[in-house]
Amino acid sequence: MAELRTQEFIVNMGPHHPATHGVCRLMLTMNGEKIVKIEPVIGYLHRAIEKICENRTYAQCIPILDRFEYVTSMSCNYVFSLAAERLAEIEVPQRAEYLRVIMLELNRIASHLLFYGVTAMDIGAYTPFLYGLRERESIIDLFEMTCGQRLTYNYIRVGGVSNDIPKEFVPKCREAIKIIGEKLSDYTGLLNENPIWIERTKGIAVLPADLAIAYGVSGPVLRASGVQYDIRRNDPYCIYDRLDFEIPVRHNGDCFDRYMLRIDEIRQSIRIISQALDGLPEGEIRNKKVKDATFKPPAGEAYARIENSRGEMGIYLISDGSKKPLRVKTRGGSYNQLQVLPHYGTNMLIADLVANFATLDVIMPEVDR
Amino acid sequence: MTGKPVLLAELHGLFQWLHEKLQATGLSQTWVDIITYATLGVIIFGVLSLIALYLIWWERKISAHVQQRFGPMRHGWHGWYQTVMDALKLLQKEDIRIVTRDKVVFFWAPVICFVAAFLAYVVMPFGDRLIVADLNIGILYIMAVTTFTIISLLMAGWGSNNKYALLGGMRSAAQVVSYEVPMVASILTIIIFVGSLSMMDIVKAQSGLIFNWYIFRIPFGPIAFLTYIVAATAECNRTPFDIPEAEQELVSGYNVEYSGMKFAMFFLAEFVNMFTVSAIAVTLFFGGWNGWDFIPSWIWFLMKTLGIVLLMMLFRWTYPRLRVDQLMEFAWKFLVPVTFANLIVAGIFKYFGWYW
Amino acid sequence: MTKEELAAYVTENFDGKLKPLDSGRYDPLFQVEADDLLDVARALKEDENLKFDYLCNICGVDTKERFEVVYNVASVSKNLRLDFKLTLPYDNAEVESVQEIWPAANWYEREMWELYGINVLNHDNLKRFLLPDDWDQGHPLRKDWDAPDFVRLPEGD
Repeated sequence: MAELRTQEFIVNMGPHHPATHGVCRLMLTMNGEKIVKIEPVIGYLHRAIEKICENRTYAQCIPILDRFEYVTSMSCNYVFSLAAERLAEIEVPQRAEYLRVIMLELNRIASHLLFYGVTAMDIGAYTPFLYGLRERESIIDLFEMTCGQRLTYNYIRVGGVSNDIPKEFVPKCREAIKIIGEKLSDYTGLLNENPIWIERTKGIAVLPADLAIAYGVSGPVLRASGVQYDIRRNDPYCIYDRLDFEIPVRHNGDCFDRYMLRIDEIRQSIRIISQALDGLPEGEIRNKKVKDATFKPPAGEAYARIENSRGEMGIYLISDGSKKPLRVKTRGGSYNQLQVLPHYGTNMLIADLVANFATLDVIMPEVDR
Repeated sequence: MTGKPVLLAELHGLFQWLHEKLQATGLSQTWVDIITYATLGVIIFGVLSLIALYLIWWERKISAHVQQRFGPMRHGWHGWYQTVMDALKLLQKEDIRIVTRDKVVFFWAPVICFVAAFLAYVVMPFGDRLIVADLNIGILYIMAVTTFTIISLLMAGWGSNNKYALLGGMRSAAQVVSYEVPMVASILTIIIFVGSLSMMDIVKAQSGLIFNWYIFRIPFGPIAFLTYIVAATAECNRTPFDIPEAEQELVSGYNVEYSGMKFAMFFLAEFVNMFTVSAIAVTLFFGGWNGWDFIPSWIWFLMKTLGIVLLMMLFRWTYPRLRVDQLMEFAWKFLVPVTFANLIVAGIFKYFGWYW
Repeated sequence: MTKEELAAYVTENFDGKLKPLDSGRYDPLFQVEADDLLDVARALKEDENLKFDYLCNICGVDTKERFEVVYNVASVSKNLRLDFKLTLPYDNAEVESVQEIWPAANWYEREMWELYGINVLNHDNLKRFLLPDDWDQGHPLRKDWDAPDFVRLPEGD
């Protein structure tokens, strides 16, 4: 017979678990129903991306970095291209910049819709999952129309983008974001006023702002704790300094704020996409001087950071003047979110840990690389 | 009530016929009784199994249409025999038994759950004179018998030798015991007016106009129904009270280590329980099998019960899940005071004779 | 302040411990000696005009002659960004942990130790992280380490 210790015991929310997004293992030390200590054990999805990239040319690195964070694969491509462009001081044509912004923001909306579905499912409401994924399908169809892929796009290349958009992209894109904007109020209406949802998410797992900054947390989690820090405003890249949008900030830092902030961000992304579609110029889509086979940026190092759906995604790129990068260090937002979890996620019940972990929106490939 | 329609109408004739045939064979009375009741038991068991299979299919279709997809479509028209196929599959599965389980407890848990689910149907009034045994303590018997499931949940949690299962089993036991109190108090509110615990009497007291149904007897009727349906959803471990089987947290809770037919028994028992509490709701609040003459009474009963089952299914696919301490707080700090207040109000109404 | 002003400010104050490098192509890049690391880090965080309280990234680098450790820091309140690095020899590479100044450094240093073999002093949790617990085949991100079944194809042009 099993021996039931009434003191602290260790429960393993193992790598295979419906509520840990991807393969994350959390060793929980529990006292009854309360969690006393959390220890994340990672590395189940380590694919040695950084080592592989050191043996590939710059163009070959892009599909590998697609898998660095496969839910927002456009951002991974873009941040690497940005770093390479900063090293080689390349101009990107305007049409390519506008297309990049459209794709990045569409990818942000898709990621946040997936977050909405999965968070609701973790807290017990099964239906929003299907609603979120249904809208995400319309965005994925747009991506498939452009670059042929549904998840790992290999679209944004050094110096521009790889394909031009077909003629039906612009009307379909407008249609898709219009529908998403209308349905968002339905989706939040399903959950926001529900007393059960409010009890499960309001006031739960508050992350104080100073702890968030100390641990390098970024993105929606940081902004939900009241810190106004968005790289699109603070360190603008691409054409974000010409577009008009707001940065939503919420001040409580609990699960409800983290969830609602992402819904607010979807609305802002819709604004950005409409402006980009209106201002889309004609022209080339790639800088002619960049030839994939012989691209050799001069020696130097640069850190490129962008605002991804999960926080600051960065690539520190060191080049020694040859065809292959010397060092590609990838930095993902989920890494820091997982690092701060044991420092504020204790002293609550397992049900709250599930809600907390869901609203952090951690994606394991970003952590393990 | 004028002449009844001919086809398929009143099945009570079947029971009469069986009883008379047996008496005609000249066996002693005890044997006749034993054989009659055994046959009735088998028939009810068969009918209920079919209903459970149908309900599983129905749940999948309702959940699918709520979520804007189709659900099972391949096996038969709109997948009607999908559940039969699933049952056949479960029959063929290997019965995985962990070495470190507690053998006796592990084996008997699903059996007790399954049997307890069916025992309540001995006194269920399926239609006009369609009841196996009209005990004069009918509703009390049902309350007693449906409580057996708590033991089986605890046994399943303990016998699996698994922390997750144990946590699930204990939470479930706490939940079911807590929600028994408002459920019984809601039922008592109605019993005050009927004056008898027998199920047939409860239904007969609601015959006549539709406004005789207890749900229309304001103010205590609707309140009793609402508290009853909430407590009943918790009794069946359905969302929003499905902490014991919360997939995302405990990976299926108390039945995580069961596979094959044993798992199927827990699963079927859940659906039969759902049908039981809906049938009790219909008997107490919606007039049982009363209805217009042109449809036989047992069809009325079935339709009304399926309506309440539909309500419970819609709850599941709309609401998120309550946390375990919020659940207990809700039961003890809200439902229990409300139901007892309702009971007192009903008592005052009965004493002064203010109802119709 | 702009990037040039930041570079000038940092070069002047801080006792010359931060020497500007010209290989940085975007944010200002500085060189720090390994012994001065903790002083520089604390000073960067506490300086009134800079307040670098946000650590973005720590990475180890293996240029084929030596190790380098690069720190990317940012200031949330003042909206500034800075990179600095220190160089270490191959043998007995050691660096102090900055986790008291920037708690985010904990996991970054642990990963750097595991993949490069750079020893981190005063770190509270130097254990296996991304690699399996029983890994004993060396430090993978070093340039002289290849996986056992890796075949290096001959270079093209």
